[in-house]
Amino acid sequence: MDLSYLPQIALSGIGIGCIYGLIGIGFCVIYNASGIVNFAQGAFVMLGGMITHTMLHRYGVPMIASAAIAIAAVSLAGIVIERVVVRPLWNRNATMFVMILATLAAQIVIERSTLIVAGDQPRTLPAFTDLPPMMLGGLAVSYQFLWIVAASLATVAALALFFKTTLVGKAMRACAINREAAALQGIPVSRMLALSFALSAALGAIAGILITPTQYTAFNVGVPFAINGFIAAIVGGFGRPLGAFVGGIMLGLAQAIAIVVFGAGFKNVAALSVLLLFLFVRPSGIFGSAK
Amino acid sequence: MTEAGSAATRVLDVAGLSARYGHIEALHPTDVRVEDRELVAILGPNGAGKSTLMRAIMGLVENAGTVRFRGRPLPRRAPEACAADGVVLVPEGRGIFGPMSVAENLELGAYLSGSKAEFERRQERVFSLFPRLKERLSQVAGSLSGGEQQMLAIGRALMSDPKILLLDEPSLGLAPRVVEEILGSLSALNREGLPILLVEQKAPLALKIAQRAYLLSVGRVIAEIDPRKVSSYDEIAHYYLS
Repeated sequence: MDLSYLPQIALSGIGIGCIYGLIGIGFCVIYNASGIVNFAQGAFVMLGGMITHTMLHRYGVPMIASAAIAIAAVSLAGIVIERVVVRPLWNRNATMFVMILATLAAQIVIERSTLIVAGDQPRTLPAFTDLPPMMLGGLAVSYQFLWIVAASLATVAALALFFKTTLVGKAMRACAINREAAALQGIPVSRMLALSFALSAALGAIAGILITPTQYTAFNVGVPFAINGFIAAIVGGFGRPLGAFVGGIMLGLAQAIAIVVFGAGFKNVAALSVLLLFLFVRPSGIFGSAK
Repeated sequence: MTEAGSAATRVLDVAGLSARYGHIEALHPTDVRVEDRELVAILGPNGAGKSTLMRAIMGLVENAGTVRFRGRPLPRRAPEACAADGVVLVPEGRGIFGPMSVAENLELGAYLSGSKAEFERRQERVFSLFPRLKERLSQVAGSLSGGEQQMLAIGRALMSDPKILLLDEPSLGLAPRVVEEILGSLSALNREGLPILLVEQKAPLALKIAQRAYLLSVGRVIAEIDPRKVSSYDEIAHYYLS
């Protein structure tokens, strides 16, 4: 067991943790607006990377524009899922369980459609800044790591500002607190639901675009990301966006440490152990009260 | 005055409205009307269907029948649309947004209002009615006292500039002195010309400010009474005993 790698591995854990955090926030935003756990969240991550790749390599669109197009397209996909999959069930007063299963079905449909359209070849994106890593002491800090951390923090800050200061953001929070009272004040609850899907999808797409240069993307990367994002949300106390972000970083670190200490095969064991630990000991999350 | 009220002055016209929860019909076909500038009370014991009637008017529960607001039919399963038309309910239990500030609650009440000037005008009206809300603006709504929360719930409803205000038991869980204060402000709003439909279990208090009242029992209107002609509350008790 060589622990000298630990700081380096911890750094990469923080990087991937930011990604889990963004996905976890996506779970929270939809959950708060509707009570639904959206298992199509992973599809947004996958689509974000895939669409950016397609724009960049097939159509020669510049990277920033490709990313913007991908985020917009995935947000639209979020609205489509809300309209086509969730809304009809919602209007028929379907149980939560049925709606959650429907989002899982949507995930599979998107995944398989991507396989048919784009094939099973993994793709990757170029690093945003193509320079060798900075050396800080003995630590190699890649520019993509800095991009991931900075862009994640900026996204979280922008989202917090949106919920705190804009009327629409406040209305979304009001729907999360008391949907019926919000409707009685004339707040269009169903439009808020569609908006929450668009926001979550955008978060997933951003996560997918940020992480792809360090790994690869393919039609089937969505589910593992969704599971880790879900665990991040649980650790943060489901429904608390900031908690989910912190939970994501904790999960990324736990995985990184497990890989160093026990070996690469223990990455998922660590993640699911964290999930079980929180479900048993602290089901309301790190910021919730102990039960 | 009671029998008057042509279609022109009728603000709210509820005709044959029934509501069900699953297989249970909680409200049998019911007729209720509110004329212009009127404060009408809905009285009845617990479980009489008072809340169900209010929820059915707003389209919060499965319902059948018609509700007309100033002659135009209100949509039957869209509370947002009712609110946009000016029919606003202060729900039972107040429904304030507890984790948000008083200011945010009021701001959300005016969600559909367009202009800043209009927002200021409405907020001034709320502050003149409930000065205490102005002092508490930055406070978290959930930390207010029960009476203040009820004031906030009414204030938030007023921020949407309702054309008729519906209230479901605003006195619930409040001290008698606070109840009088709340009902007093409702009476003041009504004197300014706002039609009000008020559900109340505490009949004596409601009858002091209402111009007309319906008695509900087991999901039906069993009587319509004129508070000025009720000499003693034994008379009301009589309806329930007979």
